[in-house]
Amino acid sequence: MPRPETHGPALLRWLDKLTLGANVCGSVMIFCLTFLIGLDVAGRNLLGAPISGVPELVSLSIVAIVFLQVPQAFRSGRLTRSEAVLSGIAHRAPRVAAALESLFDLLGAIVVGAIVYATWPIFLRAWQRSEFVGAIGDFTAPTWPVKIMILIGGTLLVLQLLARILRRHLEEAK
Amino acid sequence: MTPFDIGLIALGGMGALVILGLYVPVALILCSFLGMWAIKGTPILAASMLGLAANDAIASYFFGVIPLFVLMGFLVSESGLGRDAFDVANALFRRVRGGLGVGTVGANAIFAAITGISIASAAIFTKIAVPQMRRHGYTGRFAVGVVAGSSVLGMLIPPSLLLILYGLLAEQSIGDLFLAGVGPGLLLAVLFALGVVGMAVFTPRFVGDLEEAEVEPLSRRDLLGKSLPILGLIGVVLGGIYLGFFTPVEAGAIGAIGALVIGSIKRTLSLGALWRVLVETGLVTAAVCFLIIAAQMYSRMLAFSGVPAEFGALAAEADLGRLGLILLYVAITIVLGMILDSSSIMLILVPLMLPIIQPMGIDLVWFGIVTVIAVEIGLLTPPFGISVYVIKSALAEEDSDLTLWDIFLGAAPFALLMLAALALVILVPGISLGLLGR
Amino acid sequence: ESFMATMVAGHPPVFRWVKMLDEAFVPAVQEELAGTGHSMNFTGLYGGAIAGVGEELEAVEAGLAEIGICQSLFDPAKLAVQNVTYYTPFVSDNPRIVSTVMDDLHESDPRMRQAYTDNGVVYLGAPLALDDYLLMTNFPVDSLDDLEGRKIGAPGAAINWLSGTGAVGVSGNLTTYYNEIKAGVFDGVLVFASAALPSKLHEVAPHVTRAGLGAQFAGAICVNDDWWEGLPQEVKDALEAGADAASEWYIDALESAVDTAMTTMADQGATIKDASQEMRTSWAEGMDNVAQTWAKDLDALGKPGSEMLDAYMDAMRDAGAEPLRNWDEE
Ligand code: NA
Ligand code: NA
Repeated sequence: MPRPETHGPALLRWLDKLTLGANVCGSVMIFCLTFLIGLDVAGRNLLGAPISGVPELVSLSIVAIVFLQVPQAFRSGRLTRSEAVLSGIAHRAPRVAAALESLFDLLGAIVVGAIVYATWPIFLRAWQRSEFVGAIGDFTAPTWPVKIMILIGGTLLVLQLLARILRRHLEEAK
Repeated sequence: MTPFDIGLIALGGMGALVILGLYVPVALILCSFLGMWAIKGTPILAASMLGLAANDAIASYFFGVIPLFVLMGFLVSESGLGRDAFDVANALFRRVRGGLGVGTVGANAIFAAITGISIASAAIFTKIAVPQMRRHGYTGRFAVGVVAGSSVLGMLIPPSLLLILYGLLAEQSIGDLFLAGVGPGLLLAVLFALGVVGMAVFTPRFVGDLEEAEVEPLSRRDLLGKSLPILGLIGVVLGGIYLGFFTPVEAGAIGAIGALVIGSIKRTLSLGALWRVLVETGLVTAAVCFLIIAAQMYSRMLAFSGVPAEFGALAAEADLGRLGLILLYVAITIVLGMILDSSSIMLILVPLMLPIIQPMGIDLVWFGIVTVIAVEIGLLTPPFGISVYVIKSALAEEDSDLTLWDIFLGAAPFALLMLAALALVILVPGISLGLLGR
Repeated sequence: ESFMATMVAGHPPVFRWVKMLDEAFVPAVQEELAGTGHSMNFTGLYGGAIAGVGEELEAVEAGLAEIGICQSLFDPAKLAVQNVTYYTPFVSDNPRIVSTVMDDLHESDPRMRQAYTDNGVVYLGAPLALDDYLLMTNFPVDSLDDLEGRKIGAPGAAINWLSGTGAVGVSGNLTTYYNEIKAGVFDGVLVFASAALPSKLHEVAPHVTRAGLGAQFAGAICVNDDWWEGLPQEVKDALEAGADAASEWYIDALESAVDTAMTTMADQGATIKDASQEMRTSWAEGMDNVAQTWAKDLDALGKPGSEMLDAYMDAMRDAGAEPLRNWDEE
């Protein structure tokens, strides 16, 4: 797995810091979820007092966790791909392979950008109409924070995809 | 161009882009986007579809517990329980050729009784078993193959999220389905174990140079010391599920807490290690779930194109008799398994098949087991094989030389063994229905 | 003119409210359209093929599908006032009355339709009424005291019905009830008969108590509003006739399913009991007035919560229902 290099222009360093920050938030959420479920199980069995809304919180947070972590997963080379053909091309025609890689990164940025673009109105509606999950009287949680995290994670992923093109370019220039 | 044609082009396009090396989730999203655009005639609607799927596709309790099962696996591994389990397995099977491979299968069968998702098994045993097997002389390709193959046990041996899904679709008792899954699950585990030994004896080049893998026998004291903690954890999780303290879905969290406690008591789990494990869990979860989201987009686009419905109708209209129909159904399921995720295939095919097979007097519990095995073969087949992808993203640093195709190739013999098990389950209904007394 | 309509439902076609589309809605629309010179081509995409349960409204709003089963029960934020029945238990155990009253309210009261308009869809009809919720347990229930400390699974807002009973209300859903009761995670559940039989819940929770918790409104057929606006009047009429036919088909099918469910569960060893009047009264009296909480919460969001609570309760009383508790008058 390629280790992410840390040098580069200040802008790229800031992007990496933000990406890492989002990653840390996601990991903390996983830790909290584990204990939330543990407390719910304990409360239900030992005290006859389950914690309301655990299923709702779990279903909300998984989406947030995925989008907060996926930029870092991409940055550290975890997104699934098959490298066989590409490395074959790189062996014979490195420039073609580099161009192809840049095209792939650009395509990724476009489709993830489309997701961000389509999530924006979803976020606005959730915010303006105070959309929630759960049931009034028992437990409710607003859905807009998760939509924001999708927007943040999606935007970071787009930037990382574009940054990868820039990094490749800087590397070649050297 | 009809939507059907567009669907077919999107199928070919996805395969080609994946082989060329585009990120698999990006390839899936791109094909969904272009396919929807072509079908509905506007990029705005296509983007809406992506947006809704991104927001909703995994927003459920079932998907929500994926990180917890993965975390449990990594904690088991990090706190040394994994290594202990394999020392024990190796000691138990040390006289058997391919003993550690057999141990992997056995340990997976036991873990299958805790976990409801195959990808959790895949992630866990990638961390635990692959480095150990390679240390003992197995080839990387075979090591990941064993893990990929035996991970499918996770959804056949109860509890199983796929059997629950089938039960909902077919209105069958989930309890009956779980019971019916036990026989085929054990059969598959035995076939895998025999397969490992067979391959170790007859294709040593594929399996690896096991001659050097001489292992010291463990003393009785070591044997107990190494096996008790992991057995204790399994006991807590299994006992908790079967005594009704928590659901199979909640078990991931309890298992993770249990592993954390054991690791703290054994003083094998530092705070730094805990943090590393959390970050690792996050990265694996993100890679897997992002893939699932992309796969759901793709499946939704295909639903609009009508391609899967056409496949189903093909099976429905062909006048083949019972066995012929089942075989055609299995073939279609396996083909769809190459390109779609498990739950999508079941959502598409099962409702199509029910009205046809019900009047034929086919037992729907048996049909469910056949469906799940056939669907699970797809976890191991390229280009979209989710167990293989999970293993790829969970590989430790030192094993990252293994490519996606290494894993697909390593898993191929196990996919064939699954076909054999499937044939047996089809021909001998007693394997699945025996426990139900049918 | 020829039209295309994609129909979306998150549930698979084994569910009655999905089956009604192909069994009753589509044939009735086709029949109405015959001879008008218009035609419509329907495609049903069900069971999560393009949208999951509770996501149908969004799919119709976005225009991915033209027609959908909009689930107010599973989309309580968007179709908030439609959940009025879930906040007013012990009003009527008759799904036909609930269905008629809710349909009339939608037809006659623009405040009821506003929730759909806000979300870019149009209410077409065919209310999905659910039959009377039962208490199904793995222990016999003779009085409320028997519920003390028991873990009872309940869906969504129905968890509020357990307040004051002494039972531990645990949020759950139909899909996993069987396993959870079997394993002992739940000691019982709140569920309706027409779903209990297919899920075989009586095998694990054979004590069925009818306490009159009430029949419910869970959703209806909705239509994308841009698409609707563009349709000729004859086609709109045909779709509305289709919804009426679906509604009739659905409620008939539901009633016969309830009869079958009750008989079959009893035949297969379930004990079916009517709760004593005393138990019903003390259950209803002991509950928090969650209807008021709910209505005030919606009022605060600018939605007509209190007004629709009053309108619904009045309409139910006018239709002959005898509420055990008048939630609106406290
Ligand atoms: Na399992
Ligand atoms: Na596959």
